[in-house]
Amino acid sequence: MKLDVNGAETHIATGGKEFDPSLPTVLFLHGSGLDHRSWALQTRWFAYNGFSVLAPDFPGHSLSAGEALSTIEAAGEWLASLLSAAKVKSAHVVGHSQGFLGALELYKQAPKMVRSIAGIGTSAVMPVNPQLIETAQNSPSKAADMMNRWSFGKTIHMGTSPTPGMQPIAIGHQIMSNNPLAVDLQACGDYQGGNTILPTISVPRTLILAGQDKMTPLKAGQAAAQAMDIEPSILPDSGHMLPIEAPKEVLALLKDFILISENNG
Amino acid sequence: MSRSSFYQSETIALHSGYVPESDHGSRAVPIYQTTSYVFDSVDEASSLFNVEQGGHIYSRISNPTVAVLEQRIAALEGGTGAICTASGMSALFTTFITLCSAGDHIVASAQIYGSTATLLRHTLKRLGIDTTFVSINDKKALKGAIQKNTKLVFCESIGNPGLEVSNLPQISNIANAEGVPVVVDATFATPVLTRSFAAGANVVVHSVTKWMGGHGAAVGGAIVDGGNFDWQASGRFAELTEPYEPFHGIKFWEEFGPNALCMKIRAESMRDLGACMSPNNAFLILQGIETLNLRMQKHIANAAQLAEWLSEQEQVSWVNHPDLETNPSHKIAKELFPTGAGSILCFGVVGGRAGGAAFINKLQLASNLANVGDSRTLVLHPGSTTHSRLSEEAMQAAGISEDLIRVSVGIEDIGDIQNDFAQGLKAAQRLVAKSDTGSK
Repeated sequence: MKLDVNGAETHIATGGKEFDPSLPTVLFLHGSGLDHRSWALQTRWFAYNGFSVLAPDFPGHSLSAGEALSTIEAAGEWLASLLSAAKVKSAHVVGHSQGFLGALELYKQAPKMVRSIAGIGTSAVMPVNPQLIETAQNSPSKAADMMNRWSFGKTIHMGTSPTPGMQPIAIGHQIMSNNPLAVDLQACGDYQGGNTILPTISVPRTLILAGQDKMTPLKAGQAAAQAMDIEPSILPDSGHMLPIEAPKEVLALLKDFILISENNG
Repeated sequence: MSRSSFYQSETIALHSGYVPESDHGSRAVPIYQTTSYVFDSVDEASSLFNVEQGGHIYSRISNPTVAVLEQRIAALEGGTGAICTASGMSALFTTFITLCSAGDHIVASAQIYGSTATLLRHTLKRLGIDTTFVSINDKKALKGAIQKNTKLVFCESIGNPGLEVSNLPQISNIANAEGVPVVVDATFATPVLTRSFAAGANVVVHSVTKWMGGHGAAVGGAIVDGGNFDWQASGRFAELTEPYEPFHGIKFWEEFGPNALCMKIRAESMRDLGACMSPNNAFLILQGIETLNLRMQKHIANAAQLAEWLSEQEQVSWVNHPDLETNPSHKIAKELFPTGAGSILCFGVVGGRAGGAAFINKLQLASNLANVGDSRTLVLHPGSTTHSRLSEEAMQAAGISEDLIRVSVGIEDIGDIQNDFAQGLKAAQRLVAKSDTGSK
């Protein structure tokens, strides 16, 4: 569906069903340079099993209009506006990589809007090599290649796919090289607020981490889990692109977490 | 390296799409000779049918062995995904029927395979889809042929059997500017000799029966989605951008983006048309692909030597291959095919059609048959076989003369091929001499 958020038309995937704000809502937030399609193999299950789904493209990404948000703080503010525009009082928030940083800022700025929080392939601090940002500014395609090389785990690099016949690296390349990757990476690199928010989270929370993650290394994710006072779930053979390369496992973990959070909430 | 993989083509051809399975560690890709797949639960079955998760339901739609081949071909081409089909022709039909409906229009190169021309000219016309044939490298003609209802521009990388190389960068510039995708049959090119997507193609189709398999033991086709066409911005493809009722109103472009076409083909055309590849054929094609790079090197080296040798024979009236300067598309061939523009060459034998027949009948090593891309050398007289259903005018537009002999140069020893052809040429010469004597 399309929603006007802060004056810009925003594309929001709803998992193949019409959005109903009266149902418990799950908000899915994509990572740097990506879009709502990262969640293609999670959103439909929730939409068809008692939830409403919002999986937006951040401003300036893929099907959404507007300027890309240059800070994570701005992303948190924008997410609060998006939920208000969708008439959602609170949502279960799921963030992949940079999307998790946005979720943290949403929690900081509007804690009542967050029913639970799940981070996937992520950490609280994401230093980014300035050379990668420079490459993304000059050649998004080359930067997308660099990101893909580090982002996917072994099985995807060997050309396998959870969806028969598809090539996730090429799909990721096509999406990332057409999105404002440099702005996203700069926002990630600049953001320092995550570590102070983690210990303050009092809603149900979880982290799903990847053993082969080269973008947000496992150790950084584990440190975030410690700060959140939780035991993370770790998929040992997967890389950073967990929602795409291990969709079934991620969905199973999210289902358990969100169903329990909803029933206890 | 392609956009799909950080490995080189030779490595992709051997490994891509398969990691030894955990149960038995089978190094070779297993043949999953099964029609269907047991669901863990009713919920899982429901999830699979509703595209909530990836996986296999029924082998008409997808199969694990076929999926390995699809992923390998997609990786070789640098595409976002691939769908394998029962044959090259079914790959073409599936592509056309997924993108076009009654009332739509296709612009196609006049220099294409005879059966493809027949499909476009007669079969699709019967379904209400019209085709305009043009000289594909003629900018003005191509631009002028695109109409409001045009859904795709179709050409072959190297036209069969006229051997005109399609100027893909020019064709895609013209077509894409009008919001029209370019579909290329890259069978003669293979993913080894050229990078079709980098050159501007949006969808690549293969008859994998040919060089990909190389053994001539299995028929099959493949459709590769480049993921590089914006179906929404085009404004011509409600099929991909508007709700699709049979799947709860799914919008393929919104949901799947760069692999929207592949997902639509899987969800609709494989389900409805049923032109699926058998797992056994997928296994056979995979065996061929493992050596594709090596074979192509030998194919093009032999083709270059045979073309040169034929040019020197007095019984040969002309020789055509894109790497020869006499070929009208030679310049673009050198750009798009830096290592060699394939292993098909054509030539005319003195004595016209009768001379050609004498040549073919005398051959001992080369096989006279209707196929190309076999590891063995193959010859054919297209005018009386593959293109015999075309009118004289269409034959001319396709670059086919009465004396044309098409050779698919194999990977045998080049000396043996030349000796075999020398015998055939002598037979043609004897026929000409006899006919000259008779006329005196």
